[in-house]
Amino acid sequence: MNNLDLIKMALGNLLRRKTRTLLTILGVVIGTSSIVVMLSLGIAMDYSFKEQLSRMGSLNLIDVNNYGFYGEGIAPGGGKDLKLDDHAVNSIRQIQGVQGVMPIKTAYVRIVAGKMMGNLPVIGIQPELMEVFDFKVETGRLLMASDKDAIVFGKQITMNFYNPRLRNPQFGPMGPEPPKIDLMNNKLILTTSMEYGERRMAGVERDPNQKPPKLYKVKGVGILQESQSEKDYNAYMHMDTLQKILEESQRTEQGEGQRRRGSQQNDQYERVSVKVEDINQVEAVQEQIKTMGFQPFSLTDMLKSMKETSRKMQAILGGIGAVSLFVAAIGITNTMVMSIYERTREIGVMKVLGADLTDIRKLFLLEAGMIGFGGGLLGLVLSYLISLGLNKIGGGFLGGMGGNTGISVIPFQLAMAALAFSTIVGLVSGFSPARRAMNLSALEAIRSE
Amino acid sequence: MVNIQNVRKVYKIGEERVVALNDISLKIHPEEICCFLGTSGSGKSTLLNIMAGLEKPTKGTITIQGKKIEKMSEKEVTKFRQKNIGFVFQSYNLLPSLTALENVSLPLTFRGVPKNMRDRIAMEMLESVGLKKHIAHKPSQMSGGQQQRVGIARAFVSKPPIVFADEPTGNLDSKTTEEVMSLMLNMAREYKQTLILVTHDKSIAEFADRIVYILDGNIEKVEEKGLMKGAGIE
Repeated sequence: MNNLDLIKMALGNLLRRKTRTLLTILGVVIGTSSIVVMLSLGIAMDYSFKEQLSRMGSLNLIDVNNYGFYGEGIAPGGGKDLKLDDHAVNSIRQIQGVQGVMPIKTAYVRIVAGKMMGNLPVIGIQPELMEVFDFKVETGRLLMASDKDAIVFGKQITMNFYNPRLRNPQFGPMGPEPPKIDLMNNKLILTTSMEYGERRMAGVERDPNQKPPKLYKVKGVGILQESQSEKDYNAYMHMDTLQKILEESQRTEQGEGQRRRGSQQNDQYERVSVKVEDINQVEAVQEQIKTMGFQPFSLTDMLKSMKETSRKMQAILGGIGAVSLFVAAIGITNTMVMSIYERTREIGVMKVLGADLTDIRKLFLLEAGMIGFGGGLLGLVLSYLISLGLNKIGGGFLGGMGGNTGISVIPFQLAMAALAFSTIVGLVSGFSPARRAMNLSALEAIRSE
Repeated sequence: MVNIQNVRKVYKIGEERVVALNDISLKIHPEEICCFLGTSGSGKSTLLNIMAGLEKPTKGTITIQGKKIEKMSEKEVTKFRQKNIGFVFQSYNLLPSLTALENVSLPLTFRGVPKNMRDRIAMEMLESVGLKKHIAHKPSQMSGGQQQRVGIARAFVSKPPIVFADEPTGNLDSKTTEEVMSLMLNMAREYKQTLILVTHDKSIAEFADRIVYILDGNIEKVEEKGLMKGAGIE
């Protein structure tokens, strides 16, 4: 028998007993949609975790801080004097999957722009890494390798500026409105001294030994796009320039005994940011950095534990759904067995007339498979409707937490997998009845009334 | 064509052994119309089932076209039937969900003949049994005689060398019986087929070239009607 004839015949047989076929399919519909909807809840949870995290920062970044790795004893390098220096940066760069390594130093500086003045953190980075680490400018441009005295500002940095001559100079982030300041065109003066530009209070003797703070002329070349991350609150400049400023400031402050803590030692970085090419490699890279003795941190850590939670949820929810599909599978087997009893004679006639044994088996498998497939298809339609409804109704009160994701998400892969699964369930349920039909004695069958 | 050699069939019913066929040997010639006549319980139907490979003999061999039926696996027997044997049943055994045309073309469907070709052949068959107007009818919409004519068309549609008919007129009235019988005989003669009939009705047996009387699992006597001289008990 050719396949088209088999399909037609199977379909004809199913249509002959419409009510029974429909009821059996209904079982599969309920089973499939309960699995799909349950899983979609878990998947939506997963998605909204991811969404929440990505709002907190890039998911394929790993931060390595220069604290927390000694004295811990747990890390393999514990006790040893590990340094987050160029050597460490190089060895991190060599880990597979690492796209870029950005060593970071931070200095807290004062910048004066015309009448305005502001204290802000300046981060020294290597300009060529800016693109790799997703720096995007709103106005102006990014740093270039040749920029010795250029600064790129974060979007929110203007909040740090105030006019010291005003009575109530502190605008700050809570101020009524951000101060109007043009960081791009004003001449900027940068200093590490936090006293520069303040009016001296009367009666305080100036220390004659103190050298005047060193001033640097810098120029703003770009404002970064708002990114809802730490980038908004920092200014960035060339690592070498910052290095120089830090060294010089230490020299001037040495006399006062204000020497900075070890974290600002010259050959060490305060922090190293590692960008990993693929989000799936983050964990492996992080593991390798850990074996080097550092304490890396990434949002993926958090994502991992969140995923663990949602996986457990999915397993529980999916399990509940699976029970109903299992019941549906029993329904299919029952229908097929009944159908064989009814059609015993027919099967016998087909055998006597020369139907191949495999054709008879195929016919019954096909019928069971069609029930599974049809049920799966309708179940998917139902699932999408339920999902739509859930998102409409439930999206309201969970919206704040779930963001744009909604509470039920059915990805295409889930839909396809569900369809395949329900078909397989149909086939498996039909397997034993089909064998039975095939092995039916033709003689017994045509004798039966 | 069909060579029956020392066939014995014993059924075990509980502790009791029932001998359905004792020791039967017979040669059926090509294009012969042969009738097995006997009362119910004589073993004639068992013999037919064994010849068709639906049952295996306890002893003895059946050779059809040089092939030993009882040695074949079920799969092989089915294939063999598909190619060589047509069947007419007492209770018609049409598939209720299929139309007359689909029922007739069923053996061709099993052989994998493409639809347009098998529909054409089936149509011709239905025409020759006089049911041209009923091609789209389901079995439930037809009378017994019509159904049996569909059954005959189905048995002959693939032009098998041998057609078995088990009490083909058992459920029909005498007038229809006459029609159905002559239809079958004409077809068998036209396509040069071997027709093997099984019946308890003497008047039906009269249509055959040779009547084999079966009694209690043995051949009682063989009655020949002129044409096929020389054929007989081995």
